[in-house]
Amino acid sequence: MSFIEFDSAVFSWPGSATPAIRGLDLRIDEGEYVAIVGRNGSGKSSLLRLMNGLRHVDSGSVRVDGLDASDPTHARALRSTLVLVFQSPPDQIVSTVVEEDVAFGPGNLAIGREEIRRRVDEALAVVGLEAERRSPPHFLSAGQQQRLAVAGALAMRPRCIAFDEATAMLDPPSRRAMLDLMDRLNAEGVTIIHVTHDMAEAARARRVLVLDEGRLVGDASPEAFFAGENASLAGFGLPPAVILARKLGFKPRICESPAGCAKLLAEGIEKGLLVPLPGDGPRLEAARPAGEADASPPAPGGSDAAFSLERLGYTYLRGTVNERRALSDISFVVPKGSIVALVGHTGSGKSTILQLLNSLALPSSGRVLSFGRDPREARTDLRAMRMRAPLAVQRPESALFEAYAADDVAFGPKNQGLSGRALVDRVKTAMDRVGLPYAGYRDRSSRSLSGGERRRLALAGVLALEPEALLLDEPTQALDPAGKATIMDLIKSFATRGGTVVFSTHSMDEAALADKVAVLRGGELLAFGAPADIFGKGYNESWGIGRPWAAEVAEILAGLGHGLGETPLAIEALARRLGSKTAAEAVDGAVAASLDAAATGATGGEGSR
Amino acid sequence: MKTLEFFANVSIGQYIDSGSFVHRLTPATKFFGIVVFFIVMFATTNVTGTILLGLCVLAAALFARVNPLFLLRGIKPALPFLIILSILTLVFQSGSAGPALISLGPLSIHVATILALLLLFARFAAVLAAIGLLTSVTAEQEIAHGIEDFLAPLGRFGFPSHEFSLMISVALRFVPIVTGELESIVKAQASRGGDFGASGINPIRKARSYLPLFVPLVVRTLERAELLVEAMEARCYTGDERTRYTIYEMIRGEALVRLGLTLFMVAGVAFGLVFAKTLP
Repeated sequence: MSFIEFDSAVFSWPGSATPAIRGLDLRIDEGEYVAIVGRNGSGKSSLLRLMNGLRHVDSGSVRVDGLDASDPTHARALRSTLVLVFQSPPDQIVSTVVEEDVAFGPGNLAIGREEIRRRVDEALAVVGLEAERRSPPHFLSAGQQQRLAVAGALAMRPRCIAFDEATAMLDPPSRRAMLDLMDRLNAEGVTIIHVTHDMAEAARARRVLVLDEGRLVGDASPEAFFAGENASLAGFGLPPAVILARKLGFKPRICESPAGCAKLLAEGIEKGLLVPLPGDGPRLEAARPAGEADASPPAPGGSDAAFSLERLGYTYLRGTVNERRALSDISFVVPKGSIVALVGHTGSGKSTILQLLNSLALPSSGRVLSFGRDPREARTDLRAMRMRAPLAVQRPESALFEAYAADDVAFGPKNQGLSGRALVDRVKTAMDRVGLPYAGYRDRSSRSLSGGERRRLALAGVLALEPEALLLDEPTQALDPAGKATIMDLIKSFATRGGTVVFSTHSMDEAALADKVAVLRGGELLAFGAPADIFGKGYNESWGIGRPWAAEVAEILAGLGHGLGETPLAIEALARRLGSKTAAEAVDGAVAASLDAAATGATGGEGSR
Repeated sequence: MKTLEFFANVSIGQYIDSGSFVHRLTPATKFFGIVVFFIVMFATTNVTGTILLGLCVLAAALFARVNPLFLLRGIKPALPFLIILSILTLVFQSGSAGPALISLGPLSIHVATILALLLLFARFAAVLAAIGLLTSVTAEQEIAHGIEDFLAPLGRFGFPSHEFSLMISVALRFVPIVTGELESIVKAQASRGGDFGASGINPIRKARSYLPLFVPLVVRTLERAELLVEAMEARCYTGDERTRYTIYEMIRGEALVRLGLTLFMVAGVAFGLVFAKTLP
């Protein structure tokens, strides 16, 4: 008998015509570390909810530790054996004090108070929140809140913890802390089930399950899974190491970390199988992203700036006990037609800058000019200014309010005074641009759209203003890989048409696609420059932001004595530096095969970590 | 709408732990204190009694090492409302019986009217000070626990004091959540040129202009409530018997405080009833 057993399980959400899970068979043993991947809406969340009895199957069966998960009388036993940690940190907090919140679960089991105290102490120690035990949770950072949720789960003394995209809303350091915590718990024997959209995260597990339209379409070790030419991979993306291996023309393999990958590459170089091209960097680099590198030096429109920030400062709730300085002394210029990425931890001031650029907030000190206008001048029409450079807040789809998709998109242009034919044209163009064709989507209920579609619809509502600039606050947050790629394409095509974009992100790979990157910490600007500088020569470990995967690998490789010249930002660039595909093909076939064999051995060793 | 600033990260009340005797009392006693205050308040219908009651609150504040002026700060935002109310009272109560102080044509101001206004202000200030004092000496979660412990004796008659307390606790949790959602929605719509409540005098149109805020706010609040319910259920909340993590021990002298509060309640009510007509 396995720990978790699904037998031809079928499940539909109430009110939904199509089942979310259609005849699923699955076995998971105790102590496993399983990643579950799949598009938004593929049934991943439903699967977790069936496991701990939050939802019950329509037919078939789900058993956990021998207990029938559809039997409500097992709810308590089930939910203390298998605990869920959800995506959004603040939505899991019940209490107004950290330790009380940890005690919520065990309190529900009606066990003794002394025992609960012991468990709370222990759980807080594991996640490193002892110092915050008396704090109100809503003052914690997102990363701390998520660790609090894990502490709440641990206090149940579970045998399995299932994470439902629990890293999606975290910044890179918090995300790493969370992943390390998962590894540690698994090493101590806790079964880990991790639903994720990030393939590099999925590659950390020992087993990868792929869901598509409620069916299990893949079940393999990460090595076998990502190496295979699996058709179901379309839309899920691949771990960067696999992409690199394919570009180099080698058999794909899994590397646990950039360091592991760099080590394999160094071996390849030392064996003469890879030919690094150190001196030739810049020219190749310039040829890489079509037209983008040319656009990054002073904007084509001349010297004029879309936004200029001069010693900008901002303080929240000035003059109250809760006064908090959010920004100090920020100066930089966003040229017209450029893309600028804001990076930094949660609370570093990214959202505040975007709101100041949109004139939703006015500077406490210093000055911000938006297309040459100062929002603090009395005669400035703030409303017109906001529509010229509109802001899409985090999760902008939360603000959709009309029943039908096209009506919502029309809200902005209507506020600009458009009507009739002109209004329809605007709405049509905007919807077509975000990939929700007007013809097919105008009468769709916005509630019936998928998460990614709703995000794009909200962005269409902003694009319909025909603005000169777009301000986007974490536009790719919590989307699946395909959804993320669509948004990044949207940003690039808007800039190609001459628009300016300022966006914030936690992904350095996304930031590397911008013309300029602003690094923020605690409301101060630490660095501002081209991605090649920020993640290359000018990079500083102490910023704590990490860097694009390719840059990380190249840097470690340089440390191993194989410098590649200018730091590559994308996997394609890294692959070119290591010898183009043709170079790899020139290598004798037998030699290539031997590298594969050597590498497989190395990966095997690593896999057993 | 010039700038937008919200209070998503502000806790309710002004709790600052100074470790005073009053701070260290169990929440149940503190809650008993506010209940006594309201009972005496309702029994007191004259200005003198109300002012005396207010002074008692301020004395308690000094004892708790809370700045009394700080408690009265809340009056400022309510002043315009109080002044309009005063003017209306003056106009509509002119011409009533009793000796007139000043007469200006049809308008005459009577002693009774002045007293009514004084009572209004005194009551308002006393209530604000009492609630301010409670939230200054009681942390957010203690308020819920205080209510639970205070009502616990009713459990014998089937009153679900624990559920009631959890309800209050969750409601308190939702204040920053709803404020945060509203903030994000207002910003999203303002960014698209939304202009709320400003367009013309047509009440229907005016109400309609708020739809872009209210529709998503209601939807999001329900969604987040659903998420919270799910998170609570996932952590074995069933509504059955559960163990509470925090319990409060009475400190030395607390029994005396409770006795004192009871005596104060009896004396206060008696005073209020006896002198209702004889004192201004």
